[in-house]
Amino acid sequence: MTTTPSTDTSPSVVDYPFPWTPPMAIPDGWKTLREQAVQPIRLPSGDPAVLVTRYHDVKALYSDHRLSRNTGRHPTSRISPNNVIFDDPEVDSDPPRYLAERRLVAKAFSARRMESLRPFVWEVARELMTAMQEGPQPADLMESFAFPLPIRVICKLLGVPAEDQAKFRRMVDGFLSVTSLPADEVERCRTGLWSYLGELVEAKRATPTDDLTSELVQISDADPERLSDHQMVHWLQSLLIAGYVTTATQIGCSLAYLLHRSEVTDQIRNDYSLVPSAVEELLRYQIMGASLGSLRYCLEDIELSDGSIVPKGATVLLSVEANLDEQQFKCPMDLDIRRNPNYHLSFGSGIHYCAGAPLARMELQVATEGLLRKFPQLKLDLPGEQLQRDVGSFLGGFSEIPVRW
Amino acid sequence: MRIRAENELCVVSSMCVYRVPAVFDQDDEGRVVILDEHPPAELGEDIRRAVRGCPVGAISIEEPEEPEEAD
Repeated sequence: MTTTPSTDTSPSVVDYPFPWTPPMAIPDGWKTLREQAVQPIRLPSGDPAVLVTRYHDVKALYSDHRLSRNTGRHPTSRISPNNVIFDDPEVDSDPPRYLAERRLVAKAFSARRMESLRPFVWEVARELMTAMQEGPQPADLMESFAFPLPIRVICKLLGVPAEDQAKFRRMVDGFLSVTSLPADEVERCRTGLWSYLGELVEAKRATPTDDLTSELVQISDADPERLSDHQMVHWLQSLLIAGYVTTATQIGCSLAYLLHRSEVTDQIRNDYSLVPSAVEELLRYQIMGASLGSLRYCLEDIELSDGSIVPKGATVLLSVEANLDEQQFKCPMDLDIRRNPNYHLSFGSGIHYCAGAPLARMELQVATEGLLRKFPQLKLDLPGEQLQRDVGSFLGGFSEIPVRW
Repeated sequence: MRIRAENELCVVSSMCVYRVPAVFDQDDEGRVVILDEHPPAELGEDIRRAVRGCPVGAISIEEPEEPEEAD
């Protein structure tokens, strides 16, 4: 298949993200997106931005310092009309400062640290599956498994009491609202989450325990220039949110899609060594986050591979739908759980590559293998096309996944 | 072939370690460490994939123009 060369006709502005309708089919807009290297879009706030659509451009721009991640320090378009979400002008998200701070947390997610955590993740998964089995049917996979698994794990890593989830989940939902909540509710959640994490820092300062928060407090106390309290709370906030909301949403998307395509599930049940490549392929294919997490501000004109220009001053999103670029992936619209290698962009690329990716991968592997092994008859309690995708939040996962076994 | 790593670029994706554990490891900071600078040729394809899969280009392969002499 060949791609259409870019022409002089400017593409018209489209609303972004594209809705998942129907919920199990790849949105039509994704298929034609790459006809233009740069697609003008309208964000949920109504503000303009441009979406860089093609895989090779997206990959290159993830490592291009002419795109700043300090969106709160530039006149960047807003994602939400009433929520700054991750923008914090007090935090420097560009190198060299960003890299120095990232090093303090990224080591907690190294392969060795993740492998030493794997038995704990299995233990939590087994506990949740046993409770599911003893409970009524249908069960909601999101609430009985997809959320509690990563919540318990990130809480252990950060030293957050898991029983506080009743407190922090509502606030995190508000923090991630794009259009789902009114401004005053968003503000209440943001302030609440910030003070909750501030109190956690003080508690660890008073009584250090064996977790990442206590480690960061120690670093900050030794040298506040290296990590101020504000920066520390900002990191904890990002780690907590990225640590469970994204993983839970992806567990849900992956499992819902697998159960919707039972012939694919059967292949895994016949050969569990397929789990790691299936997890990667579902990360490529079930894109839950649109590209909102890649928001950047363009500091200088950037020429793309076909000569298109991303103009200075533009707000830029790097399209995760590039995961469907036929220039990079063979038969990209097909779910191929044996696809290997699979250089998808669901964790981003470059220096902002998801710090928790190794943890997310491990949790997705345990979740997929655990559920399929424990429940040989696991199935959706309604046709996949009737599941509801979240609307108005930062991520587009399923709000509820009723299952039987 | 010779494997090189630019340790200061590493962002701890751990992808190379999972892909080729005989060649790549991580230090206490999680940054890439090369275990075997001259790995056997049969690992070549896996290593090339690890190089391509690194999100920041922190690892690379130098293919010698002529066969290297053994030490």
